[in-house]
Amino acid sequence: MDIIKILENTISAFFGIDAAYFALAAIGLNIQFGYTGLLNFGQSAFMACGAYGLGMTSQYFGVGMWWGILIGLALVIILGLLVGIPTLRLRADYLAIVTIATAEIVRLVVRSVRFKEYFGGSDGINSFSSSFRDLSPFDPGAQYGFRPFQYSGYSLWTMIVGWTLVIVFSVLVYLLMKSPWGRVVKAIREDEDAVRSLGKNVYSYKMQSLIIGGVVGMFSGMIFALDRGSVQPDNYSRDVTFYVLTALVLGGVAKVSGSVVGPMMFWGLYVFSDNFLRELTKDRPFEIFGIGIIQKSQVGPVNYMLIGLGLMLLMTFRPQGVFGNKEEMALDGR
Amino acid sequence: MDAERTYTELAQRARAALASVNASPGVAKPDPILLAENVRRNFGGVTAVDVQHLEVQRGSITALIGPNGAGKTTLFNLLTGFDTPDTGEWMFDSKNLKKVVAHKTASLGMVRTFQLTKSLTKLSVIENMKLGATHQMGEKWWNGLLPFRYRKQEAIIERRADELLKRFKLDHMRDQYAGTLSGGQRKLLEMARALMTNPRLVMLDEPMAGVNPALKQSLNEHIRGLRDDGMTVLFVEHDMDMVHDISDWVVVMAEGRIIAEGTPEQISANPAVIEAYLGTHQGKSLLEEENA
Amino acid sequence: MFAAPGVANAADSENSIIVSVQDQTNNNGVSEKKPVAGVKVSVSNPSGLAVGEGVTDSAGLATIPVPAKDDYVVTLDIASLPSGVTLVEGTKTVVNIIKDSFTTNSKRVTFFAGSSGESGASLFDRIAQRLVDGIRLGLIIAICSVGLSLIFGTTGLTNFAHGEMVTFGGLIAFWFNVLLGIPLLIAAPLVIALGGVLGLAMNGIIFAKLRKRGIGLISQLVVSVGLSIMLRNMYLYQFGGRTRPLDDFSLQVAKSFGPVSITMRDLTTAIISLVVLLGVAAFLQRSRTGKAIRAVSDNPSLASSTGIDTQKIIRVVWFAGGALAAMGGVFRGLDEQVGFEMGSGLIFLMFAGITLGGLGSAYGALIGGFFVGLLVELASLVVPAELKNAPALFILIIVLVVRPQGILGRKQRVG
Repeated sequence: MDIIKILENTISAFFGIDAAYFALAAIGLNIQFGYTGLLNFGQSAFMACGAYGLGMTSQYFGVGMWWGILIGLALVIILGLLVGIPTLRLRADYLAIVTIATAEIVRLVVRSVRFKEYFGGSDGINSFSSSFRDLSPFDPGAQYGFRPFQYSGYSLWTMIVGWTLVIVFSVLVYLLMKSPWGRVVKAIREDEDAVRSLGKNVYSYKMQSLIIGGVVGMFSGMIFALDRGSVQPDNYSRDVTFYVLTALVLGGVAKVSGSVVGPMMFWGLYVFSDNFLRELTKDRPFEIFGIGIIQKSQVGPVNYMLIGLGLMLLMTFRPQGVFGNKEEMALDGR
Repeated sequence: MDAERTYTELAQRARAALASVNASPGVAKPDPILLAENVRRNFGGVTAVDVQHLEVQRGSITALIGPNGAGKTTLFNLLTGFDTPDTGEWMFDSKNLKKVVAHKTASLGMVRTFQLTKSLTKLSVIENMKLGATHQMGEKWWNGLLPFRYRKQEAIIERRADELLKRFKLDHMRDQYAGTLSGGQRKLLEMARALMTNPRLVMLDEPMAGVNPALKQSLNEHIRGLRDDGMTVLFVEHDMDMVHDISDWVVVMAEGRIIAEGTPEQISANPAVIEAYLGTHQGKSLLEEENA
Repeated sequence: MFAAPGVANAADSENSIIVSVQDQTNNNGVSEKKPVAGVKVSVSNPSGLAVGEGVTDSAGLATIPVPAKDDYVVTLDIASLPSGVTLVEGTKTVVNIIKDSFTTNSKRVTFFAGSSGESGASLFDRIAQRLVDGIRLGLIIAICSVGLSLIFGTTGLTNFAHGEMVTFGGLIAFWFNVLLGIPLLIAAPLVIALGGVLGLAMNGIIFAKLRKRGIGLISQLVVSVGLSIMLRNMYLYQFGGRTRPLDDFSLQVAKSFGPVSITMRDLTTAIISLVVLLGVAAFLQRSRTGKAIRAVSDNPSLASSTGIDTQKIIRVVWFAGGALAAMGGVFRGLDEQVGFEMGSGLIFLMFAGITLGGLGSAYGALIGGFFVGLLVELASLVVPAELKNAPALFILIIVLVVRPQGILGRKQRVG
C-alpha cells in the first residue's frame, strides 16, 4: 500500500480547491443554519445560480464572463424570495421541505433537454472561463510547488482566488455576526417571539439571512465551476448540500472558524478514506473472514455511507463539532 | 397597608382619575391609553375571548385577573398582535391596531412579556439588554459590515443597558449567559429588557409565576417604579396579594368576558368575582367549605 | 450556398467549429440520441461575411475550420433536415458564439431534433391515460406517505429517510424474488413485515433514544438526513447503480379499456393499493388503536393525559409506516424496476402530498398523496416528461402561501 501517496493526497486535500469551495458554501450555510436556525437544504441550488450565472454569460447571453456575477446575484435573489416567502413565517421543517424540493427541481431544469439551449442539458456548459484564465499569472500547464503541495498553474490560480474569497467572506461574516444584526439573528434562532416582542421584524431578518447566505453560496458555485472549467448539473444535487452541512457540523456550527476548518477536515478525511480504501482494494476485494466486504467499485458508496454515519454521530454526540460552543448551540427547543 | 406609601405626582394623577370611575365592567376611563371593542376569539367552537369593551387608564397599574382559562393570556396575545381575533377593534394611544402585527405593536410602544420567560439563554445578559433597544443602525446588515457606523450608538445603548441592569440589580451578571440566571432573575431580565424599548405600555404576563417569595417584594417595587416613571402597566396575575398590593385598578375576566372592574377593595367584595373563582363550590360560602 | 472567400485561410488554422445535429426523440420518457446526417450548416462572422460551411456526416457532425478564436454566427439550414425530423420546439437555427467560449481549439455547437413521442392519440385519450397513470401513482404515494405524516404527528419528526424505507421494500423484494427465487406472491407479505421491522428498528435504535436524550426536533431531522445518506449508499453498495426488474410479473402486455391501456399487473396493484388505503382509513376510524393513533397524532400532550400509552402508539406508527412504505416499494418496483434510489425520488412527492393534506393527519396524507400523484401525471401533458415532478414543487409553494396547514391539518402546528 502506497502510504506516502495516501498521506500526500490527504494533506493536499486540506488546502485544495474542493475544501475552498466547500468552505464558501459552508460559510453561507452557517449564516442561514448555524446563526439563524434556517434549515436551508437547497444551498446547492444557490451554488448552481452562481455556476450557471457564469456559464450562461457565454452560452446564452453572449456577454463577458464578469456579467455572470450580476446574473448569478439576480438568480440568487429570485430563488431566495421564491423559497422564503412561503416558508419563513412557518416552522423550520417547511423551509427544509421546500428547499430540498427546489434543489431537486433546479437540478432537473438545468439538466433537461427542454431548456438545453439555456443550460446545456446533461452535458452542461463547458466554455466560459477564458477571461478568468487570462488573469492568471501562472502558466496553466506548469507544475508549481513541492510535494505534497504540488499543483498545476491553473489549479493554483483558482485555489488562490478561492481561498482569498474564503478569507474575505470569513472576515465579513465575522463582522456581521458581531454586529447588532448578528445579535438579532442569533436571538431569532433561539426564540422568534421574544425578538418580535422587542419590535424586530423577524420575517425580514430571516429573509436577509437566507439571501446573504445564498450569495456566499453563489460564489462557491462560481469558484467550483471556474476550477473545473465546466458547469455540470449533477454537481449541484441535493446531496451536495448535505455534505456541506456535514462539513459545517464537523467544524462547528455558528462559528466562522468552524465553517472554514470543518470543510478542510472533511476533505482531508474524505480523501484519506477514499485513497486508503482504494489502495486496500486495488488488487483484490477487502475481506473479513474470507468474505469480500469491499470491492474496488464499492469504495465510493462506502465513503458516502461513512459521511452519512458521521453526520448522525456528530448530531447525536457532539453537535457543536470541533470549534463550537455547547452553550451557544441553540438548535434544540424548536 | 398603603398608608405609608407615597406616590409620585404622575401616579397620583392616575389614581385620582380612577377614583372618579364607576366600578362596572367595560367602564370608560378618563384618559385611556388602550381601548378595545368587541374583541372575540373562537378556538374550534370554544369562545376564548369575548370582550365587549375595555379601557385601560394611562399611567395606572391595572391588574387583569380571573380563573384559569378565563382568556387573559389570549387577550394579551390578541392586543399585541401575537394572535388574530375573529372580530374586534382596538386602539393604542388613539392608533388603530387592528391587523398590526406583533413586532409593529412593540415598536409603537406596547411591549409585552411572556408567561414562560423568554430570556435568550444563548446570549449574555448585556446582549439581551442591548437587543431591546430600538432604531439600531447596526441592525441593518450593510451597517453591520462596517463597525464604525454603529459603534457610537452601540456605546450609548450599552450605557443605558448597564443603568437598567443596575436598577434591577443584575449588573454583576452582565457578561454571563442568560441561561445561568435563576428563574426570578430571568423574569427581572425580561422586564429590564422590555424597558429598553422605551415603552409607554408594559404588559406583563404573570410576572410572579415561579418567582420565589423573597424576590416578589422587589418585583413589586420595580413594577411600581415603572408607573412612577409615567408608564402604564397592565399585568395578568393569580397572586392576589400582589394584586392587592400594587394595582390601582383591577379587571376581572371569566370565560372570556369581563365580569367586573374596580379598585382592589371593591373587587374583593364583589360577589360576581367570588362566584367566578369559586364557581365549582356551587355557591356555598367559604365558611361552609372550611367546616365541611 | 456559395463557396466563401477566406476558406483557404481557415483551412490552414487549427481552430474549428464542430456542429452536431442529434435527434433526441423522447419515447414515453426514454430518450435516445440518434445522429442526423445530411444537414447543411454554415458559419459566418457577425457582420455576415461567410467563413465556411459543411454537411453533417453519419455521426451527425460537421467540422468547419475557422481562422481564429473569435465571434461567429452558426446557421442551420432547416430545409436540409431529413423528412420527419424537426428541431426541438423553440430551438433557434442561428447560434452566436463569442470568443470567450473557445477553451480549446474547437468549439462544439449542438442542435437537437426531437419530439415527445406520443403521436396519434387524441387529447381526450391522452388525458384519460394520464388520469389512470395518475391514479396509480397517487395510490402509491398515498400508501407511502401515511407513515410519514403520522410519524410527524406523533413525534414531531420530519423523517427525511422515509424514501429509503420505500426503497427497502423494493430491494428486499428483489432479494427474495430474484436472488432467492421465491414467488412474489409469497415473498410480498414477508417484505412488508420486514419493512415494518425496519421502521421499528429506526425508532428503537435511533429516534426513541434521541428523544430520550432530549435532542431537539431540528437535530433529529438532521440525523434523519444522515440516515438517508447512509442507507441510500448502503443500497448502492449492495445493489449497484443499475435498475433491475423483479422476476415475477415483469413481462406484461398492456390491455386496452377504451382509450386507456393498463397491464393486469398494474391494475391489480392499483386495486390492492386502494383496498389497503380503505383498510387503513377504516382502521384509523374504527379500531381502538386507530383512534388512539389519531388522537396522539393530533395532539400528543392531550392524548397522553387521557391515559394513552404514547410510546406504544409511536412504535405502532413506525411499524405501520415502515410496512406501508415497503408495500409502496414493492408496487413501485413492479411498475418501474428496482433501484437504489427508487424511493429517494419519491420523497419530495410525498412531502408535497402531506403538506397538501396536512402534516400530522393520516387522512390528509391519503388525500394529499393521491392528488399529488394525479396532478403530476396530468401535468406531464403540458410539461416535458423529465420535469413532471416540478409541478409538485408548485403545489407545495401554493399550499404554503394560501393555506399552510393543508386541507386537514391543524393551524397551530404550522408555526
